[in-house]
Amino acid sequence: MSGEKEMNFFINRVWWSRLQAMTWKELLQLLRDPILLVFVLYAFTADIYNAASGVSFQLNNAALVLFDLDRSAASRELAGRFMPPEFRWIGGINHAEQGQTLLDDGKAMAVLDIPPGFGAAMSRGENKAVQLQIDAANSVQGFLMSVDATQIIARYGLEQSAVRLGLDSSAAMDAPAINNATRVWFNQNQNDAWFMGISELLNVVTLFSMLLPAAAMVREKERGTIEQLLVSPLSPLQIMIPKIIAMVAVILGGTALGLFGILVPVFSIPVVGSLFLFFVLSTLYISTLAGIGILIATVTNNMAQAGMMVILILAPMMFLSGAWTPPEAMPALMRLGMYTSPLYYYINASYGILLKGAGFVVLWPMFIGILSIGVLVSVTTIIRFKKQFG
Amino acid sequence: MNLRRIRVVAYKEWREIIRDRLFFALAFIVPSLLMLLFGYGLSLDVENIPLAIVDYDQSVTSRDYAHHFTDSRYFSFQGYAQREKDVEKLLIDNSLRAVIVIPPQFGENLRGGRSASVQTWIDGTFPFRALTAKGYVNAMNAAINLDNLATYISGLTGVSEERVRNAAQPVKLETRYLYNQEVKSIWSMAPKLIMVILMLSPPFLTALGVVREKESGAIYNVYSSTLSRGEYLIGKLLPYVGISVVNAFALTAFALLLFGAPFRGDPLFFLLSTILYVICTTGIGLLVSVVVNTQVAAMVGTSIVTVVPAVLYSGMIIPIPSLSATAAVIAHILPGMYYSEIVIGSFLKGVGFTSLWMDMLILALYATVLFTAGFLAFHKRPDR
Repeated sequence: MSGEKEMNFFINRVWWSRLQAMTWKELLQLLRDPILLVFVLYAFTADIYNAASGVSFQLNNAALVLFDLDRSAASRELAGRFMPPEFRWIGGINHAEQGQTLLDDGKAMAVLDIPPGFGAAMSRGENKAVQLQIDAANSVQGFLMSVDATQIIARYGLEQSAVRLGLDSSAAMDAPAINNATRVWFNQNQNDAWFMGISELLNVVTLFSMLLPAAAMVREKERGTIEQLLVSPLSPLQIMIPKIIAMVAVILGGTALGLFGILVPVFSIPVVGSLFLFFVLSTLYISTLAGIGILIATVTNNMAQAGMMVILILAPMMFLSGAWTPPEAMPALMRLGMYTSPLYYYINASYGILLKGAGFVVLWPMFIGILSIGVLVSVTTIIRFKKQFG
Repeated sequence: MNLRRIRVVAYKEWREIIRDRLFFALAFIVPSLLMLLFGYGLSLDVENIPLAIVDYDQSVTSRDYAHHFTDSRYFSFQGYAQREKDVEKLLIDNSLRAVIVIPPQFGENLRGGRSASVQTWIDGTFPFRALTAKGYVNAMNAAINLDNLATYISGLTGVSEERVRNAAQPVKLETRYLYNQEVKSIWSMAPKLIMVILMLSPPFLTALGVVREKESGAIYNVYSSTLSRGEYLIGKLLPYVGISVVNAFALTAFALLLFGAPFRGDPLFFLLSTILYVICTTGIGLLVSVVVNTQVAAMVGTSIVTVVPAVLYSGMIIPIPSLSATAAVIAHILPGMYYSEIVIGSFLKGVGFTSLWMDMLILALYATVLFTAGFLAFHKRPDR
């Protein structure tokens, strides 16, 4: 009886030590490719830094051109209200064609056109229209610009009319106006660095979680070293799992580096929720994607195929993740597709933990989402792998 | 340079590509699929923002105010909530992105001719969306105020509402959207997508070209042959440029026929610039391939060098002036930015060689620099 137990114990130990040896082999292979390591390090540090610091969706520094045919105090006053940081005057012009050329060349984003007689109309108490030509080839900025310009002009208008009606500002205060104070939650200053930085970290994690295991497996197929592994006493699981473990370890390390090395110290991203939960989530997510990576390796025969396959899967996953297009703006069919993207759950849960302080009680559906995709992928991968190399 | 040798290398590479049926198929499927996906899927329009209203006032006035928001297409009204506590949780789990809180005595204050305040909460996780939502709320609030003010003043003074409204808005802003009258995302997006996709897919095709032979050892055939470095690299590049030009045609067709983007520029100029651009992007892949020693490193390196910058720094989503100094430098280092000017100019603005010759020249220089770098980095005498 005890002999059987010992035997079991022995088999168990062999199983584990084989797993260990194989995991170590994968790590060594990764460590011995210095250029690859440099790329990985770059992606988890400088790349995240660039994305977080370099990109702003807010209207910033938009180049304006003044086409002032009035040249009065009033027109200068109005133009002066378009101020940095949103706007930046790059000069005045004398002919409409000049403005068109500047817009064509992308040198200016908008031309403010103040007609002759503007100042006179203002002082006589008449109404006058000014025109803003916006380069809307970039529709996001075009929209923000028109919203801002409308507000600037409206404020100027209200002040003018207050003067005309003989009201001083305190009288205007007494009018039955509704003051709508906006309070932005979770990111009060709408700091783009928080969104962009976290988003970039998650994207880098996604890329590596799929590409590295796929590459590690397909490389064995391409070089034929898989044959060596197959004739060894390793089971298919013992070939697959170490690759996943090694990559998960490396990518988790990268995630920690990106978070504690860049995002928290440089951009002061508040980690409101539980870090433990975030790393549990990441482990689950990376393992799931590593499963997809191995699955890709079972259907392809060389790196070139695997690489193209990774983009083919990665791109839809990123675009269906809800980070670019919000779920509420998606058509119904796309929203269905979104639920098949593990990145959707990962992004939601990560922002939830890091910025909103959400706990497992709120986020469990996200965990279930990743887990179900993970289980589905693992089963398919194991079946395919056994069929191929069984 | 011997043209015959270049042809032989290109032919060999071409045979290799088409014999790998899966790869060959993917080389054409991937760009088209990306175009369809991004074209239909990527919408930066902010609409249907899930909204709840907490109305402590429960008066006709407050419901009236709320109606302006619940009826708007920018918001999708999810319902009234009793207390603020109830909605906080819904903001955290993303069921809501905006909440309007109307305090007690809201209606009473307004009817009594006093000002009243309300609060709007916006989920700031996605700053751009928060900013846009804020813009909507402010604009709608301003419109409501103008109405109220007109009614109030005309009630006090007996002047008609119409006249008060006129007087309150002495300056009217007429906004003209150039190049894209409807400010629809898909229009402005489709041409830029061509730029992005031609930056994503060609480098990946090429990235393994040289390093694959390094890894398998086949490169020694090249080392020991009479092929010169230049002949080898050009020969390697040609088939991928060919594939990518075909893809460029397909993408242009998608933009014009499927997404209905207009083409106002010069087709010949566009074609020539596109070929130059494709030479640049395939060239990036080739350069990576020459520099690294393993296929994995080539894949990872290519994705870092191209994917992120193509999306973020090429002016697709964010205009170049909005980038920080570092990002702007990266933007200027990559060919996407220059080609972006060309695509937009050709599609939306209808300008040609006269205003875009500089960008074309830069692309040509770029291709030359890439080739030179590849040439210098590639050695026929392996030192290790």
